[in-house]
Amino acid sequence: MKKEKIYLPDSAIRNGLFHVVCEIFFELKQNRWLIFQLFKRDLLSLYKQSLLGFMWAFIFPIVSVGTFLVLNRSGIFNIDDTGIPYPVFAITGMAFWQLFSTGINATSSSLVKAGNMIVKINFSKKSLVLASIGQSILSFSVQLLLIVSLFAYYGIVPGWQVLLIPVLILPIIFLTLGVGFLLSILNGIFRDTGNIISILMTFFMFLTPVLYPKPLSGFLSRISDFNPLYYLVSFSRDIILFGKSDLFTGFMLSTLLSLIVFCVCIFIFHLTESRVAERI
Amino acid sequence: MKSIPIVDINNVSKKYCKSLKRSMIYGFFDISRNIFGIRTKSEKLRKKEFWALDNIDLKLGTGDILGIIGANGSGKSTLLKLLNGIFWPDKGQITIRGRVGALIEVGAGFHPLLSGRENIFLNGAILGMSKKEVENKFDDIVKFAEIGDFLDTPVKHYSSGMFVRLGFSVAAHCDPEILLIDEILSVGDLNFQLKCRKKIKEMREKRTTIILVSHNMHTINYLCDNTLVLNHGKKIFYGETNEAIDLYKESQNKKANVEKVKNDKKAIRITDFSVMDNKSETRDWFRTGDYIKFNVSVFFKRELKNFIANISIYDEFGNVVTGIRNDHDRENSGILIGRGEIDLEIEKLNLLPGFYKINVNIIDPDGFTILDRIEGVRTIRISGGKEVNGVAYFPHQWTFKSSEEQKDK
Repeated sequence: MKKEKIYLPDSAIRNGLFHVVCEIFFELKQNRWLIFQLFKRDLLSLYKQSLLGFMWAFIFPIVSVGTFLVLNRSGIFNIDDTGIPYPVFAITGMAFWQLFSTGINATSSSLVKAGNMIVKINFSKKSLVLASIGQSILSFSVQLLLIVSLFAYYGIVPGWQVLLIPVLILPIIFLTLGVGFLLSILNGIFRDTGNIISILMTFFMFLTPVLYPKPLSGFLSRISDFNPLYYLVSFSRDIILFGKSDLFTGFMLSTLLSLIVFCVCIFIFHLTESRVAERI
Repeated sequence: MKSIPIVDINNVSKKYCKSLKRSMIYGFFDISRNIFGIRTKSEKLRKKEFWALDNIDLKLGTGDILGIIGANGSGKSTLLKLLNGIFWPDKGQITIRGRVGALIEVGAGFHPLLSGRENIFLNGAILGMSKKEVENKFDDIVKFAEIGDFLDTPVKHYSSGMFVRLGFSVAAHCDPEILLIDEILSVGDLNFQLKCRKKIKEMREKRTTIILVSHNMHTINYLCDNTLVLNHGKKIFYGETNEAIDLYKESQNKKANVEKVKNDKKAIRITDFSVMDNKSETRDWFRTGDYIKFNVSVFFKRELKNFIANISIYDEFGNVVTGIRNDHDRENSGILIGRGEIDLEIEKLNLLPGFYKINVNIIDPDGFTILDRIEGVRTIRISGGKEVNGVAYFPHQWTFKSSEEQKDK
């Protein structure tokens, strides 16, 4: 018997939870190659018509690291002692933060950018969202290389715990994808979403202790207690820089939250993706 | 063999919203409903919504070739998008049994900066092919697209013909069981169009079910067994392609015939124009080879000597089939004032079946100033009569000779 596809109004709802979960799973499994191809497209197209090409993947992080070094030397930052040189502290935190922020920007605009394709070809739209985060993971890896060279510069010897980095970034990736799935749908209908995201992102960065250690008391401190990104960024940073962290519980809870967000949002995306194609 | 339909469109309707802002709000509500598992009541029209497709019902079996024709905005492309699963119906149900390949826009998934090679892999993946499939068919795809040395050039430097060829080539090598084609055969040069037709015929032989949307009646006529005529989202005819095309063209011509012969206050004007048969009766349909007479009534307020009359016949694409002028025929129109009549007789009208428009010009003796004209007011339909291929009928005679007389046994 041939594969049978049935289209009818609201069919995603009629089919029941288990069916939907299976559908999502098989769609992702089937489209691994497509996800890779879309990632490759984003990557190639970004660097193709430029003289320096892939060098740009290094230039941006180098400049931002350089900025911190200069600012630190001139004493503009007056941050409490963190036990390690401030540039290392700030850049490590920024690397994790940017994984989230650039990821959100890329995923939320992925559907809109491919709008022309979506209304003409029926293909897996989840793959678009998933592929769009690839860029952020790649630039995170590049930043990691730079952090290693900073370690050498300051004579810091990292512990074996740095090998945990690929695991440590997983919750951030799940959270980013989850929120990205939801935002890409919203952005498909209301273009306002994109603008709101770029405004809020900067605001969130200063709200999250990325460039400064968490204050011991006060308003920011209380907000940080309920900010999953604080745990995801700070725990990972602590593990890399000090080899240990007392934020383990918070990190695990945030990881759980990230997974829940991811599952719920991919589910929502699945239920609503065909509606977005009509309005995009 | 009693078979299950491979494409089953069951009373399908689709609505659109005329206002963008409302569409956004409706979209938000529909999505919110879906998230909370509530049905969207999509079968009801809200304010500013209309049915882009209304209650379409159709079944296709394996190897069927269906043409879809209709004026712009009649819902042809929407139907294809529903079949492709890009949009979902608001009412009714569509069942598809088999792998669908769609050519709704050629090269829609291409990235301009990537090379032809990279785009073949990318587009193959988007169209649902596996890595292995693309690798196996890569050479065929390149060969069919005839891009040669340009394989590693970014596609933005391709000529539009190369771009289209590559797009069609990738999509055609997906080996779909159901192929949806939207008006792509009208792009590209003649050579490419012929290639596409050949490819489609090949697929037909492999029993691929094909659904073809086109404004080109020749293509529809050539490829499709059955044709669906849509008008404002409604099915107005479904059946034999010949009948469908006649019906569609007639509905198109009705619009054109509504324009009346104009009658203004010019000094020199055409007051009436009619097309007649050999009994001088007004008619608008003829058979190939029939006698036809064009009769033009004119009114000249001032005396005009040696004016030029010109009658031209156009085909449905606006090409001049023939343009006849009395000065070219060395016929003098003489002097005319007041009411007059001009007759042009054609003994044998050797036009092939189709619809033709007639233009009439009254031209100043200088040879190019048009004093009055009527354009496309009369349309004639040629049907039946002689049967030949191509665009014209030439009176002819066959003789068969063989060098040796055949001997009786």
